[in-house]
Amino acid sequence: MSFRALKNSFKEGLQGIVRHPLVTVASITTILLMLLLMSVFFIFSANARYIMKKVGQQPPIEVYMKLGCTQEQMDMVVSYLQSSPEMIKGYRGFSPEQNYTRFRTELGDSASILDDFDYNNYLPYTITIQLTDPGYADEVVLRLRAIPGIEKVMQESNVMKFLTRATKTVNIATVVAFAVLFLISLFIISNMVRISVYSRSTEIAIMKFVGATNGYIRLPYIVEGAIVGTVSALCAWGITYLAYTEIYERAMKNVLTTSVYALLPMRSLSVSVLILCLASGIVIGSVGSGIAVRKYVKV
Amino acid sequence: MIRFENVHKTYKTGTDALRGVTFTIDDGEFVFIIGKSGSGKSTLMKCITREERPTEGYVIIDKFVISKMSSALVPVLRRQIGIIYQDFRLIETKSVEENIAFAGEIIGVPRKKLHQMVDIVLGAVGLRDKASSMPLELSGGEQQRVAIARAMLNSPKLIVADEPTGNLDPETSESIMALLSEINRNGTTVIVCTHDSNMVDRMKKRVIEVDDGLIVRDEHGSGYTAEDKTALPKSMIDEFVPEVISLSELEEEEETLPEFPPNPGEDEEEEK
Repeated sequence: MSFRALKNSFKEGLQGIVRHPLVTVASITTILLMLLLMSVFFIFSANARYIMKKVGQQPPIEVYMKLGCTQEQMDMVVSYLQSSPEMIKGYRGFSPEQNYTRFRTELGDSASILDDFDYNNYLPYTITIQLTDPGYADEVVLRLRAIPGIEKVMQESNVMKFLTRATKTVNIATVVAFAVLFLISLFIISNMVRISVYSRSTEIAIMKFVGATNGYIRLPYIVEGAIVGTVSALCAWGITYLAYTEIYERAMKNVLTTSVYALLPMRSLSVSVLILCLASGIVIGSVGSGIAVRKYVKV
Repeated sequence: MIRFENVHKTYKTGTDALRGVTFTIDDGEFVFIIGKSGSGKSTLMKCITREERPTEGYVIIDKFVISKMSSALVPVLRRQIGIIYQDFRLIETKSVEENIAFAGEIIGVPRKKLHQMVDIVLGAVGLRDKASSMPLELSGGEQQRVAIARAMLNSPKLIVADEPTGNLDPETSESIMALLSEINRNGTTVIVCTHDSNMVDRMKKRVIEVDDGLIVRDEHGSGYTAEDKTALPKSMIDEFVPEVISLSELEEEEETLPEFPPNPGEDEEEEK
């Protein structure tokens, strides 16, 4: 395909957009709605994954050492934690004194009741552990329990299992929703473009009779579809940006950004949403148009 | 040279449009294909332009068996054949000049050269002053001239015209046929499918008559109706066996035939 043929295809593609303004507007609106749905789903699933990740990384496992455990036993626990970086994102040990200070802080104005408390005799060493993935919880707990010197290991297993399942479900639902929306929009667009292609079927037949290849005939329609897809994508991105920014500001008014329940800000999502919209819009527009013209090039 | 060897065409509906057609047209000939409506002459023309593929037999143009060629090469074939239709088939949204230039654009003729080529063919059909007109602003005769100019642009060795004067008055038809005659005199093979008996009678060219999917007459310098001495009696039509090369012989020959050459520098897309 020569450069001039490509240039002509772009020119024809642009002319096609102007030639059938109603079909163009209808196509843009259809793709726009599909992309908005996709964006909403993407933002929802991104936030769901983000929150679940944060929840999963909260110290869900707490190790209580036996009172009077030895330094060697402490070292064994630390050694295990350091040897499993693929499962353990981080850990933090608290001495009896630090635990005492935490209790006092949590008690606030009532902290004075602990004034004479002999923490060295009653409070153990504790270790809080952050996992890389909530799915490793069972294995980590099992191994920790086998180490001598540990009194007990606390974990919220039900919460962990729910988080694991929920993450998988959201991921699968996102992929399925995208595939379904993609196919539906492809079908709608190809049928819509077929109307404008039909009105030019005689022209296509003439092009075939003077020796135009299928690619030469299809390219202007594919370009037309890609332009329509790009315009739809930019509109969808703009609407998503403004709407989510507004929702975010309202929803996060009383929530700290460091909170487990804090949503992802638009600035973290905008590039991903733009890429998603542009890629989907261009593919839907161009492939839909390509499919629509397919029947008419068989002359 | 165009050669039909025992060409059969049966449509999916079961209609036998061609039932064993065999003939040869030499380079530079002017041939009329005539016959009643539904006789199979349009199918015959479509086999030349590869709009239809024979169910049996061979269609050979210049040693290339076009009935067996890959669909991806069909555009290359059509660029080497000038095709003219009864309904002109001009693109209404393009000017006269653009309609003609389009046939050159698709094979990547440089813009400057293309402009010169368009000017030459427009001059040949006498429409240089209409270059910027739109097709709908022209008369039927002028539109057909534009179609002829488009067909001439790539200097094809073969021009196929399907009822080129079917929509035109007798005077305009005369000028269109004169134009095709002129093109033929310059060495281009011209095949005209027509019902215009006066024209065929007047021009005295080779006439191939098709009836019920068979060739019933093939005469040089003939008129629309058969002369008694050469016409085949109706009773003999089904037994008409032209001199043919045996199929096995042809298959052997086909193996030695070269591939149909694509245009240099042109990317072809495989037709799905």
